[in-house]
Amino acid sequence: MDENSKPKSVLDSLGEEIVRIITPVSICMLLVVILVTVLNNDTDSSNPSFTSIATVAYNESSSDSNWDKLKGALLNALVFVVVVTVVTFLLVLLFYFRCTEFLKYYMGFSSFLVLGFTGGEIAIFLIGKFRVPIDCVSFGLILFNFTVVGVLAVFMSKMAIVVTQGYLVVIAVLVAYWFTMLPEWTTWVLLVAMALHDLAAVLLPGGPLRLLVELAMSRDEDIPALVYEARPVIDRESVPRGGFVQRRVWRERRENEFGSDENLDSSSNLNSNVNSISESRSVLERRPLYGSDENERNAVDMEDGQVSREDSELAAPLIQHRINVRMNLQEGSNDDFALEGIGLGSSGAIKLGLGDFIFYSVLVARAAMYDFMTVYACYLAIIAGLGITLMLLAFYQKALPALPVSVLLDHWLRDPITQRLRGFVSVTEILPAVLVLVLSDVSPCRQKSQDLHSSKGLTLKTTDTITRVKTWNDFYLNDEAFMRQMLSDSHGLNFCHEKSINNEKGVNQNDLTGQN
Amino acid sequence: MTVAAGIGYALVALGPSLSLFLALISKKPFLILTLLSSTLVWLMSLIVMSALSRAFLPLKTTVWWPYTILILTSVGFQEALRILFWKVYKKLEDILDAFADRVSKPRLFMTDKMQIALAGGLGHGVAHAVFFCLGLLTPAFGPATYYVEKCPKMPFFLVSAIIALAFATIHTFSMVIAFSGYEEGNKVDQCFAPVVHFIAGMLTLINLAFGGCTISIPLLYCVAIVTLVHCGKMAWRRLIENRSREGNLSNSQ
Repeated sequence: MDENSKPKSVLDSLGEEIVRIITPVSICMLLVVILVTVLNNDTDSSNPSFTSIATVAYNESSSDSNWDKLKGALLNALVFVVVVTVVTFLLVLLFYFRCTEFLKYYMGFSSFLVLGFTGGEIAIFLIGKFRVPIDCVSFGLILFNFTVVGVLAVFMSKMAIVVTQGYLVVIAVLVAYWFTMLPEWTTWVLLVAMALHDLAAVLLPGGPLRLLVELAMSRDEDIPALVYEARPVIDRESVPRGGFVQRRVWRERRENEFGSDENLDSSSNLNSNVNSISESRSVLERRPLYGSDENERNAVDMEDGQVSREDSELAAPLIQHRINVRMNLQEGSNDDFALEGIGLGSSGAIKLGLGDFIFYSVLVARAAMYDFMTVYACYLAIIAGLGITLMLLAFYQKALPALPVSVLLDHWLRDPITQRLRGFVSVTEILPAVLVLVLSDVSPCRQKSQDLHSSKGLTLKTTDTITRVKTWNDFYLNDEAFMRQMLSDSHGLNFCHEKSINNEKGVNQNDLTGQN
Repeated sequence: MTVAAGIGYALVALGPSLSLFLALISKKPFLILTLLSSTLVWLMSLIVMSALSRAFLPLKTTVWWPYTILILTSVGFQEALRILFWKVYKKLEDILDAFADRVSKPRLFMTDKMQIALAGGLGHGVAHAVFFCLGLLTPAFGPATYYVEKCPKMPFFLVSAIIALAFATIHTFSMVIAFSGYEEGNKVDQCFAPVVHFIAGMLTLINLAFGGCTISIPLLYCVAIVTLVHCGKMAWRRLIENRSREGNLSNSQ
């Protein structure tokens, strides 16, 4: 055919990263919607015997008035947020005392609980619904194996990235399904409360998450977190400028102390955080690659040596990619960086926190309990918001080199910048939320009463806006920090660290499933 | 009636779109994004229109001409949106060409542009099919089926699936025709999409009469086939012209 002889068009690989994030989000939402429709056909209202930490204050029953439900839901949400805050402070404390190992193992344990107990519970529901003939022993064996492989894949060792990604999606599906089992008003108020809590915990000076991030940044460590990382796009055809190739080596996280790293070249301090466990709500991060010109080659070699040396629990990285990028900032690489940063160029992996997966899936699954048109519209709105967020981030990454003053100044300047940009973002992010709001009012096939829908639409709007703003905010903060680093070119390769937003997903699984 | 029938109806409405997606669009991520955004745009246009016409609905008339006005306004709005889509696409084309120049890759080929138009049209078609057919299919997964009085020969779900398939085809390919019409300045192609859309909308009014679906559905498929053929001829002509032009260029070098 003619096409094989044609040079590859720019359309072939454009936007690949975005699609690589949208695909797992869509799969997660689809699975949760399927689970909800299959398992919730008989009872539309909440299960009255469902107790958990989120319903400890008030258990909703359909005979209460709306005001009672709202009060009860607020009470529930308050209790939940208080527990989450306490646990987050505990996490900050542990991190402060450098108990990172303990944290890591604890995260592994909690994901074991999620996969084992919540997964087992849902599997039992499915077995009951479809009358699958299986006995306890086989079921237990299969479940145990599944769980252990999941824990290993996500936290402990290296596996094919598809397996890791698959298990992360499964964890998100299970947690999201668990959240949909809560009573309805509690769910909505809880989502809003969690979004507000995120904002407060990150932006307030005494907020636990801010403390955590600052600790991590000052120590140059990673925060343990549950993060979905899409495979980076490799552009094999880009021509290196200046005669040699700037490389970015994307490696697994190393567990050694950072004291021993100072003698190494700064480029070897790259952390790719594939293995990092995260409290990961609303963390959206790009990992551009870069190295300094002169010692670039050395960096790579040293890094190779580095990798082979410290192998303790992280095996030689299976996911070591070499990605070509042009990085000469002095030569007006603003444009190059722009095209890198449009988000449509081929560069590094995009990471999305698992909390975002869960949040979107809970939204969509709740919509699935009413009507499929609402699901469809919610899905489109969420994907639109996500896509716009990614594009805007990439776009404003372009603007960053053009703002040298703010970048070179102290990092406290990021607040006024984010203030200004937040206004811009919230306009585009409100759009999908408004969409959902309007559609919930306009959809022709609803069966529920009017007030339910209007309240749902309203909370959806608030939640979406706040969370989107937050997502973008965090991302901007991260990128600004790394941009500063890069321009100063001294420790150019210390990545900004992820913001760990909440840990409650990991820790509360323990509480919640323990109480179930 | 049963899950098998439900999935069957869904595939009747969306099968060709799915195969188009898998064959053409899934390989190029940009086209996936185009599809999603055009689906969203179509959905938003529906929302806006329904908000606007909320004042007049439901139309409790037994005569049929108020529906004509409704269809006229809806089609007009969607076609205006298509022109807006075209303008956005022009800007996007400039950005993409600039990007291609920077990464020293060739600029957008004509086939690329047609593929983007196809993805946009497919987004519209899929949105239409999902809204007007899949949204109604939830009862079809149960144990029974449903017949409408005015069309007693086929189950309601099957009729809606067939109509949705016709409309998806019309939307998909009229977008390609419209975009190439705007690009070349061809008046026939530019007017083709709105006219065809309007005719298709009017044809569905025949369903209001008893037994109307036996007339309107074949006519609807005639319109869809006309769209397909016209699009095919236009694409073929442009490809041949392009290839001869490239041949001339390479000969003269």
